[in-house]
Amino acid sequence: MALRSRATGRRPRSRHLLGYALVAPLAILMVGVIGYPLLNTVLLSLQDQGVVGSSSSFVGLENYQRALSDGEFWGAIGRSGIWLVGNLVVQTVIAFATALVIGGNGRWARASRTWTLFPWVIPTVAVAVIWQWLSNSNYGIVPKAAAAVGIDGLGSPFGDSALAMPALILMNSWHWFPLGAVVIYGAMRTIPVEIYEAARVDGANAWRMFWRITFPLLQPILFALGLVGSLWSFNIVDSIYLVTKGGPVDATTTAPVFIYNKAFSEFRASDAAAVSVITIVLLAAVAFFYIRVARPKEDQ
Amino acid sequence: MRAALNRLPRLATMAVLTVVVLGPLYWITVSAFKDREEILRSTPTLIPQHPTLDNFRELFTATDYPTYLTNSFIVALLTALFTMMVSFAAAYGLYRLRIPGADKVAGLILVAYMIPGTLLLVPLYQVFATLELVDTRNALVIVNVAFTAPFCTWLLRGFFFAIPRDLDEAAAVDGAGPVRMMLRIILPLLAPGLSTVGVYAFVFSWTEFVFASQLVVSDDLKTLPIGLSAIMGQYTVNWGLLMAGTLCTIVPAIVPFLFAGRYFVGGLTAGAVK
Repeated sequence: MALRSRATGRRPRSRHLLGYALVAPLAILMVGVIGYPLLNTVLLSLQDQGVVGSSSSFVGLENYQRALSDGEFWGAIGRSGIWLVGNLVVQTVIAFATALVIGGNGRWARASRTWTLFPWVIPTVAVAVIWQWLSNSNYGIVPKAAAAVGIDGLGSPFGDSALAMPALILMNSWHWFPLGAVVIYGAMRTIPVEIYEAARVDGANAWRMFWRITFPLLQPILFALGLVGSLWSFNIVDSIYLVTKGGPVDATTTAPVFIYNKAFSEFRASDAAAVSVITIVLLAAVAFFYIRVARPKEDQ
Repeated sequence: MRAALNRLPRLATMAVLTVVVLGPLYWITVSAFKDREEILRSTPTLIPQHPTLDNFRELFTATDYPTYLTNSFIVALLTALFTMMVSFAAAYGLYRLRIPGADKVAGLILVAYMIPGTLLLVPLYQVFATLELVDTRNALVIVNVAFTAPFCTWLLRGFFFAIPRDLDEAAAVDGAGPVRMMLRIILPLLAPGLSTVGVYAFVFSWTEFVFASQLVVSDDLKTLPIGLSAIMGQYTVNWGLLMAGTLCTIVPAIVPFLFAGRYFVGGLTAGAVK
């Protein structure tokens, strides 16, 4: 009897101990690489550090004042807004169209569920090289194809300050739309076929069925995808940096690129940290607003 | 007739999708096999007339590409290995042993996944400087694992739930302790989940640019994303060479994906639907 109660009393605790031990490596990594640096950004933003890691002293909110009155920073925030909305719109439209066609039963449609993801899997640096090659003003296939149909003298859009941003949004969308497509496709498969059959009996056409059935039922997943996808695309540095480095003349300097340049080209670590903190606060505010406005209503 | 008309937009969309996705990949592949004269020809050829391996030969003999390739493989394989270990252990603790507060920790994992990596670069650099890890491959592995493991732990959740709990009880009756149960019974059953996680971590590491660009300084430690962009800067006119380099950078990311991709897509969509 005594033996039995001891056994049952001890087992859960040793299980918990083992459980904690198993979670520990992940917890340590997350605290060390994500948690602590996040905290440190705040501390760093109150100092006057130049080159990352050099000595520094406390200066209070000076960096914040300078950042908030810096027109270049607000310009970068504005471009981040364009970048975010541009990517969101382009990727959602392409992802939806893709999700609708990769669900087919044909052999090519089934294969497409694999190859559609290729642009997402390949490294960003490759994406950058590919699109610079395709759009190269002298030898690129895109300007040549354009010339063949009568549009002459198409230069590389990445070097044009008016076209660089839209071109980068398209390039980045090519890189990221497969993720959205697959997620939407997965969600579409959960919609029961009977609903469509019932609608068809009622005489609804494909267009109507899309807007009345598919779209509303996908609202929760679109909401989540919009939130996560927007946060991810906001944070992108590599797609932009590898092609234009934020140029020409700052035309593609979004907030993360601005921060990256501040820290590692201008060597002003504390300014970069202050701008990071402001950016995180702005981002959190936008996310909060988005959740309040766009969250799908629970069914009564 | 009407059925055919209904299918037309679908076929057209599929055609556009094919050209948009596979077109660029086809074009860089054929470009890599063209010689210097053919690649710059004013009327482009769709198929190389004189296929050549010169670009690849130059890539592997005249540039540092082999070094970058080796570094990328080392970092990506170590990242995949450690991510599999860390996320398997954490997922077992969270979803199988159900330690108190497991559901809250799981939420935290997702929040952490959305924190902008770039904004952490400056303080992270300092952390690694203190630990004297700047300019080592280990620094890259640590960062990559820290950014992949939380998501992968979450990804493994569905795979864990698919294993019946009766199995644990049966094994417990047979006298298997929790550690033996984990390694002997659950681990083999989780092979598809672990391969998914491994491929994800490998591809993440293979692609990672921002951290690799700052945490590593020495040329002989640089990974492909940094190395290839350096080659791009040096050999701007030599497009054939660049295309060969791009192709060799893409293939190692696509091949593992072809094998584990099915699970991968399944895992992602399962996670998304929840």
